[in-house]
Amino acid sequence: MAVTTTNILEERATSISSKQRKGISCEKESVSGAVSQRACVYCGARVVLNPITDAYHIVHGPIGCASYTWDIRGSLSSGSELYRNSYSTDLRETDIVFGGAVKLTAAIDELMEKANPAPKLIFIYATCIVGVIGDDVDAVCRAAEAKYGIRVIPVKAPGFSGTKSLGYQMACNAILEVMRPHREQKKRFGINILGDYNLAGEMWIIKRYFEDLGIPVISTITGDASYESLTQAPSATLNIVQCAGSSAYLAECMDEELGIPYVKVSFFGVEDTSASIIRVADALYAAGACDDGIPARAREFAAAQTAKVMPVIEKYKPRLAGKKAAIFVGGGFKAISLIRQFNELGIKTVVVGTQTGKKDEYAVIESLVDGDTIVLDDANPAELEQFMLEKGADILVGGVKERPLAYKLGVAFCDHNHERRHPLAGFAGIENFIKEINMSINSPVWQYLGKEAAV
Amino acid sequence: MSTNIVSLNVNPCKMCMPMGAVSALYGVRGCMTILHGSQGCATYIRRHMATHYNEPIDVASSSLTEQGTVFGGEANLLKGLANLIALYHPEVIGVCTTCLAETIGEDTAAIIAKFHEQNADSGVKIIDVSSAGYAGTQNEGFFRALRAVTEQAPHDATPNGKINIVLPMISPADTRWLKKFLLEMGIDAILLPDLSENLDGVTATKYERLKTGGTSIEDVGKMAGAKLTIEFSEFIRGEDSPAVYLNETFGVPYTRLPLPCGVRSIDALIEVLCEQGGVVTDELLRERGRYLDAMVDAHKYTAAARAAVFGDPDFVKATVRLCCENGIVPVLAATGSVCRELRTLEPEIRACADLQMTEDFRVLDDCDFETIEQYCSELGVNLMIGSSDGRRVAAKLGLPLIRCAFPIHDFVGGQRVRTLGFDGSLNLLDQAANAMITRTETTYRAELFDAYHGGAKAAAAEKPLISAEIRTATHPCFGDRACENARIHLPVAPKCNISCNYCVRRFDCPNESRPGVASEVLSPQAAFERYVYYRGKLKNLMVVGIAGPGDALANFGQTKKTLELIRAYDSEVTFCISTNGLLLPLYAAELKSLGVTHVTVTLNAVDVAVGAKIYKYVDYMGTRYAGEAAAAILLANQLAGIKLLADYGIVCKVNCVALKGVNDGHIFEVTKMARELGAFVTNIMPHIPVEGSAFEGLERLNNKEITALRDDCEINIRQMKTCRQCRADAVGTLDNDISATLRSAVSAPQKSKTRRFAVATRSGVLVDLHFGQAEEFYVYDSDGADVRFIEKRKVSQYCNGKEDCGDKESKWTAVLAAVADCNGVLALRIGDSPAEKLRDAGIAAVATYEQVETAIRAAAGERAQTLKGA
Repeated sequence: MAVTTTNILEERATSISSKQRKGISCEKESVSGAVSQRACVYCGARVVLNPITDAYHIVHGPIGCASYTWDIRGSLSSGSELYRNSYSTDLRETDIVFGGAVKLTAAIDELMEKANPAPKLIFIYATCIVGVIGDDVDAVCRAAEAKYGIRVIPVKAPGFSGTKSLGYQMACNAILEVMRPHREQKKRFGINILGDYNLAGEMWIIKRYFEDLGIPVISTITGDASYESLTQAPSATLNIVQCAGSSAYLAECMDEELGIPYVKVSFFGVEDTSASIIRVADALYAAGACDDGIPARAREFAAAQTAKVMPVIEKYKPRLAGKKAAIFVGGGFKAISLIRQFNELGIKTVVVGTQTGKKDEYAVIESLVDGDTIVLDDANPAELEQFMLEKGADILVGGVKERPLAYKLGVAFCDHNHERRHPLAGFAGIENFIKEINMSINSPVWQYLGKEAAV
Repeated sequence: MSTNIVSLNVNPCKMCMPMGAVSALYGVRGCMTILHGSQGCATYIRRHMATHYNEPIDVASSSLTEQGTVFGGEANLLKGLANLIALYHPEVIGVCTTCLAETIGEDTAAIIAKFHEQNADSGVKIIDVSSAGYAGTQNEGFFRALRAVTEQAPHDATPNGKINIVLPMISPADTRWLKKFLLEMGIDAILLPDLSENLDGVTATKYERLKTGGTSIEDVGKMAGAKLTIEFSEFIRGEDSPAVYLNETFGVPYTRLPLPCGVRSIDALIEVLCEQGGVVTDELLRERGRYLDAMVDAHKYTAAARAAVFGDPDFVKATVRLCCENGIVPVLAATGSVCRELRTLEPEIRACADLQMTEDFRVLDDCDFETIEQYCSELGVNLMIGSSDGRRVAAKLGLPLIRCAFPIHDFVGGQRVRTLGFDGSLNLLDQAANAMITRTETTYRAELFDAYHGGAKAAAAEKPLISAEIRTATHPCFGDRACENARIHLPVAPKCNISCNYCVRRFDCPNESRPGVASEVLSPQAAFERYVYYRGKLKNLMVVGIAGPGDALANFGQTKKTLELIRAYDSEVTFCISTNGLLLPLYAAELKSLGVTHVTVTLNAVDVAVGAKIYKYVDYMGTRYAGEAAAAILLANQLAGIKLLADYGIVCKVNCVALKGVNDGHIFEVTKMARELGAFVTNIMPHIPVEGSAFEGLERLNNKEITALRDDCEINIRQMKTCRQCRADAVGTLDNDISATLRSAVSAPQKSKTRRFAVATRSGVLVDLHFGQAEEFYVYDSDGADVRFIEKRKVSQYCNGKEDCGDKESKWTAVLAAVADCNGVLALRIGDSPAEKLRDAGIAAVATYEQVETAIRAAAGERAQTLKGA
């Protein structure tokens, strides 16, 4: 076959920018046949709600949707392990013909009768075909709530109805639905942590910072959350929002409906972690929720922790400075924080892309990187391949699907995904991040590649 | 976990049809697959396969949207095919439907025909595969795709003397073995599919995006002219079977065989191949001999195994046969597919079970892991064989799991799993035998000891690293000459369970120095960190004490956690706690095991009537007691507790607060009792009158009176005379409490002049928002060094009563109002005209994309310059 393949499809060209920065085309549906790395609406809803540990998460649909999302994320629990199970109505051919609502009702009835622990909160995820075959999931949920007096909340997330971001929003609506009956609560001193999914215990790391400063954490959404803890969320003084992509919407709604103001924070990198701890303490002080001891302690704490972690950065820096990184992650915010963390290590970002970044996030990305860095939205393997090779990337940061591609191209890889077993947030995370980068980029294996055998 | 939920699949032991179809098509040369459906299906399947095979998995999607779902996805699919060709130039494209496409009734055949019509010169063979996710599992999807390729390949029925080999989902490594094996036997075969290279590629200098391994579509066409088809599936339905199709359409005879795993199945294959002219080499015979030899070597180990085998029906059958040959009783054979025919395994399993005197076993289809878990428990399974999806059950029940089927997500090497042929079978057999050996080796000592020696081991007495005598001598509150040594009191215990009339517990009273007071209460972790901090600073730090500010035992969880954290870090430091003694009988044993060697008990009276004057109330076991009842409960526990401490060898100091006119005449009796109970020393200390306490007006004993009291009591028991009545967060030597330095460092006021800044930020972390787009501002004060967050201001709040400022003018007014008190505004970009207006209002405009706090610090530092307005 003499034909050379195209690397960039014509209609993808506007989603890629280099040199001339006119803003890139993003927040659009994926191009058919382009082998997008994105998932779907259902996926977005599932990842946000899944860490609610004592809920029964029922996937109403054919088995695939349940099978591929069964316990695949590294969200940890300090209590129930229920969320690590997969529940599915496992729709079959006959259900498609006659409808699946009866099966769903039977499933809920049976859970109520037999399940141990007894359900307090059930989420029903409606996948692609449920709407198409005409199941009235809302009605089933309403009936079940009336019959059993527990919460049964529909999450209508057909995969085709948009991108993963829409799924985040649906999950946020479901969380609000859990909180609503508990909105009339006396406010007390304490914060909710939004947008942390307790991957590899990251939420625990952050939570401890605050508790050690004397700031109670009332509810965590949704890392290590429980039904009980979610119902207490309305009593908090302040929300802090970590993953803005998934949770800014919820924070906005909680501000409006429950009168809880929020600040956005980030716990990736020394600078962000320190600034965020101090900011939360300041915000509480400014709101009159605590005395000035807490802001003072926050500053002392951040300074002490920074002093502790800086030698680690300095130790590794000589081995890492001058390397080139490619980034392909889910949201724009994560990409931005990675570029800055790489800058701190003297690593230049040469390719950066996201699955669902927003327009102004790309504006920031373009401001942060050099003129010749490739910026791209909703990239596919062909584009990643071309630009990683063209720009000589030494390491790729990405998800599970991108890892084998990097390895095949002889490029190191940093797991910054939801399945990892190592925390990357907070001061502990900084050390892990650097070690993770070093152990791949400076592995001895690369030196043996790219050479033909001597024989 | 619930049992027997029938209306729900709980933890699936199966995947969907498109997964199987995609996998099968990876075994066709130059083939790319596009899933006609929503984007998620392709992505999930890619992720699932990528973690098993550790290979890049590229699967396209027609990315159906709402519109496509309502009006049909023809346009999407046509575009997708064109794009796929442009990106990959495949020889073959598999168009596989999904739940969605099938449900909305997509006519993919017609769309493909239209594509060919519009692109007559594409040269690409497009295979149409109907694979609705709900219509079966990955196993059926796999064969559906094989059947579709066989049907739609360009047929060449010219007899070619070849043998067709139709395979279910086996590993690339097993496929490579099979090819070598056929070559060795001199068999000219066409494999369908051939996953050997595409899903287990090499690292090459040039990466090939389109895989070049696999069976070519021309070779698939030639299957029509083969002399025989061997199909390694005995369960797939005729309508999904390539062998049946080739037989019905081209008259190619076929035979169905179990996968060649275990001696009988391999022999069966060899026999068929020999009939077709295959040759058994000496090497093959030796391999067979070695395998049989290994079976004999392992048989007494494998006899102990009771296996649960789960997966696709053909995998289950092959593995069950191997198990039965080796005396491993497969007490549970389960598949997630609907496959009643799996029951045909029952006679075989029964025969094996009979030999091993095992009665019960199950063969289950349409089964989930909840059911598998239940039967693993009921049937006494001690070995699981299947995919890594069984790992949760294995972990829960403590069972070994041999991972040898798709998917394997938690281990590397899924693509290299070997179970076929003699060496593949040997691999499986060795793993099973070694799992049994490991099980015995790790348990038999303890089991035999427990069974025959007489129960659990007596806890081996731990020899202390440092003797109690030395600890006492170096403890500043116990030792005579230990004043030069430092101790740290960690305030982790806020609650108290009794109320003394001389005490008012206020936490924030840094000017006072007396028991029961601390500036702040620490979490165990924070306390641990404080300890580590001072450990580095104070060379003479010998003792960690927990002295409240409440009662150490009333907060036992915190006390325990703190001590555990510190002990893990420092095996030498002396642990000391102080308590009112109420819960001492409850926790004395645990204190001992935590390594606490010194305890101070405050015992103010040994007479209930006297006690009743000192204690307001006592909270004990959920009830509040007052008066003599309270005093009696407290006293009984104190006495029993101090006695227990002595029994455990814990050094006990009895503190006694001398209260003029209340107990000062009774203290002699207290010290006498202390000696009788085995206390080491008593510490008589004068009461410090505290404002707001019941004994506020009580006169304090002077030094002379205290000294006289101590001298009197010295005939009963040794007296401590160096007590400084420390705070609950004291640090340092008795005469130099440096904890105040900690407090002052923390709360030093910042007095320099500050300026105020408003920041336009989207992320809240960077200055990353255009000024004109800002709906809210983060407001900070800074003096150029410290940056203090003040609040978040929504522009809408400054909108003159309106919900949102509709027109530009009123929005601008609101924005100005929102930042009116600021000295500067920071934004990603600020237009010239707004910047000018801001400057007119005396507000500097700074465009930057830095981190928020960094940007403010810079702006505050350069304020003279920026405020000029340039």
